[in-house]
Amino acid sequence: MPDGGGLLGPSGPLAARSPVWPLLLGLAALAAATAGPWPGLILALAAGFVLWWASRRSAGALRRAREESCELSEQLIQSQKMAALGELAAGIAHEINNPLGIITQEAELLGLALEPVEAAQRDGSPLAAAFLAELRDGIGEIMRQVNRCSDITHKMLNFARKVAPVCQPSDVNRLVEDMVALVEREATKQDTRIVRMYGELPRVTTDPPLLRQVVLNLLNNAMQALERGGMIFVTTRAAEDGQIAIEVRDTGPGIPAAHLDKIFNPFFTTKAPGMGTGLGLAISQRIVVGLGGTLTAQSLPDAGAAFVIRLPATCGGEGERRHGAADQGTGH
Amino acid sequence: MSEIKVLVVDDESDFVELFIKRFTRRGFSVLGAGGGAEALTLLKGVAVDVVVLDVKMPGMDGLETLKEIKKRHPTVQVILLTGHGSVKSGIEGMSYGAYDYVLKPFSLDDLVERIQSAYHRRALVGGGSGA
Repeated sequence: MPDGGGLLGPSGPLAARSPVWPLLLGLAALAAATAGPWPGLILALAAGFVLWWASRRSAGALRRAREESCELSEQLIQSQKMAALGELAAGIAHEINNPLGIITQEAELLGLALEPVEAAQRDGSPLAAAFLAELRDGIGEIMRQVNRCSDITHKMLNFARKVAPVCQPSDVNRLVEDMVALVEREATKQDTRIVRMYGELPRVTTDPPLLRQVVLNLLNNAMQALERGGMIFVTTRAAEDGQIAIEVRDTGPGIPAAHLDKIFNPFFTTKAPGMGTGLGLAISQRIVVGLGGTLTAQSLPDAGAAFVIRLPATCGGEGERRHGAADQGTGH
Repeated sequence: MSEIKVLVVDDESDFVELFIKRFTRRGFSVLGAGGGAEALTLLKGVAVDVVVLDVKMPGMDGLETLKEIKKRHPTVQVILLTGHGSVKSGIEGMSYGAYDYVLKPFSLDDLVERIQSAYHRRALVGGGSGA
């Protein structure tokens, strides 16, 4: 009988009201009347016990079902939330990009308008020199801040963009090594050693540039967690069902338990203002999910953090692949 | 398979010349440009499959050029090539849609392979120099 059977199991509260109980009690009463009190009492006790056990079971099943449905609706809410946030982010980014473009052009025009003043400066006017220096400084600052804004809007659009993978047979170990080699120079400068633990991997089809983006992002995060130096372990291994796993583990301070379920949320950051937009991990997770895989984080107190990318043997869905051309890298 | 059309962009003309010589010998059809603006002008008139782009150039730098190329020719694949690779430029480059990020010095065979897989992707996304 699977899962306790039809009488008591899945039907939950109904089981307690099932017509079996009056029957059993009736039988007990009958037994008491005909065969003396003892067997009847035993039967009644047995029936009582079965009744108690059944109600406990059905309460447990009910609780489990409730938890499962909670979990499901939480996932649903989460994915809806992400979609809504993506739309919002894209909308804001587009709206902000237009005025940013105008500000940039105006600042450039201001620079051009200064040319006659520059001529006066060359002719030896100290007033012109001071005026010029201040204006140039101001324009420079405007440009820097505009760049900062466009960096944010670019990331917002990147986050909002539908991940449309273009799948190619890929040598993932080589791809990971390319990114490790890129990060290694800077890692060495901050006393960080990268330990490579590459395993034998089956050939997979995935989107190489998207995967590069994710691996580089995780390596960069690990470096930032190791400001005072440490180690980064980069592991690749074959997993079940032709899947592969890529792990980036650092020996940094780790992620506080309270942050673990938030780090993939867009705009969640523990970095100082201006140092990070909090979109890197959100984008990375979206990409990996778009490739048909998962990106998860683990952290133990004082034992650093680990991020694991799991990828299937073949990436993405057919539908998404076909739209690759239209969506791919439109340069926002 | 038709000839893969490559555009190499670098402000060092010696590098561009050598690149054209070596990769033409490998069976590619190679054009050269000395900067981002020149590359964009070239791309207007000639169909190119893969652009090999130096990151550090005076004037319009590699990342700016990459952004413009992806905006105007989204299916053209761009391989960034750099002598001074930085994590920041790598992250930016990949997020602006570069196909690959290669550190100088590179081995010829390695880059040949990368250009071929970039071309493969170009074919998958429905572009092609025939168009």
